[in-house]
Amino acid sequence: MQLQIITPEKIVFDEEIDELVVPTVRGEIAILPHHVNLLTQIAPGEMTIKQKQKSHHMAVAGGFLQIADDTVSILADFAVRSEEIDAKKALEAQQRAEEKIKNQKEHMSERDFELVQADMRRAILQLKVARKRHRGAPIS
Amino acid sequence: MATLISLRRRIRASMNVSKTTRAMQMIAASKLKRAQDAALSSRPYVKRLSDLVQDISQKVEDKTIHPYIHQETDSKKTLIVALSPDKGLCGSLITNLIREFLSFTKENPSATYIVCGKKLEAQVAKLPNEVLASFVFGTTLPKFEAVFPIIQLINDLYINKKISSVKVLYTDFSSIFSQVPKVATLLPITLSQPEVTEKSQKKSQLYEPGVNEILPSMLKHYIEMALYQFLLESYLSEQASRMIAMQNATNNAKDIIEALKLEYNKTRQSKITSELLDITGSRRAQQYGEQ
Repeated sequence: MQLQIITPEKIVFDEEIDELVVPTVRGEIAILPHHVNLLTQIAPGEMTIKQKQKSHHMAVAGGFLQIADDTVSILADFAVRSEEIDAKKALEAQQRAEEKIKNQKEHMSERDFELVQADMRRAILQLKVARKRHRGAPIS
Repeated sequence: MATLISLRRRIRASMNVSKTTRAMQMIAASKLKRAQDAALSSRPYVKRLSDLVQDISQKVEDKTIHPYIHQETDSKKTLIVALSPDKGLCGSLITNLIREFLSFTKENPSATYIVCGKKLEAQVAKLPNEVLASFVFGTTLPKFEAVFPIIQLINDLYINKKISSVKVLYTDFSSIFSQVPKVATLLPITLSQPEVTEKSQKKSQLYEPGVNEILPSMLKHYIEMALYQFLLESYLSEQASRMIAMQNATNNAKDIIEALKLEYNKTRQSKITSELLDITGSRRAQQYGEQ
């Protein structure tokens, strides 16, 4: 089955795959070829793609998933392969967001707060996926 | 005939202008590249999202479930979000935009406005209509966060049934050489007629959680993305138009410099000639006197 992952920045992934495990708002689901047509909402988390003998991990932040005619399309706000995650940058982003929340909590509007929080969640998510790949080894 | 000094001054002035326009052209070109990457890469995403929205909205039996797709209101008012550049010097883009804007205001005399960008702000201020808000468009690539305050304003009016539709005036980027101002409808979302074929009816389709749970968040996301795409297109058009305009200006300046240089040299030469004539003439007169 074909998997397409599209984000506002670019088409992240467009390849033939064998299995996909993805977190949805109703819990994690695994998708095998010839799945029934489905439309669902993705929850932020880690996605696993199995391709022949290999498996890739990806961090994904919210979005929608559609299966139509054995083609899976994922419209994600943000998605990145674990190999491409820059752990250092993610760590910095997390710290920046944490600091912002700590310092300016009183002055921030609700919307700004949500945005910073989203930044932080995204950073934490990337770190989580990156750590897994490093098998728990500390990230320098 | 102009004097040498004034000609030299004009040449220098033209050179300075050409330097400035050349720099502006180069800045616009580099901004254009970035904007093009951003706008073109989000196009497939918006396209798919819009397909999905169409698809799922078709499935909902009760069309009144969300005001984004079905609005019931007595109000005939339209809200228009007008997007324009902050800065000028971008060819005919702003003139075209204002022309489109004026023809729209003639057709919709009672519309309410949200303006984004200084160039249209001045135009809207001349109208007696209500201006809800005015944002700065900025001279850098619009950020996604920029759509939130606009969306919030739209929502306040739209959900409370103060307005019946929301339109966007923007400049569509069709190529580097052609940008066309357009008015597009943002809300309510226009649903195309479903193509009911036997095949599509047979297909079973699951929704998790139900359609009614997915729809609101999808519509909200779609509106944000759609508006952002309009912002990107407008920005992209501005930069493309500026690049071309500045390129033309640089070329014109070069032509003018060349013409002025020719005239300068001609004047200089004729001046030398007349000086020589003076000298030889007076010499002759002297010799004639001696004889």
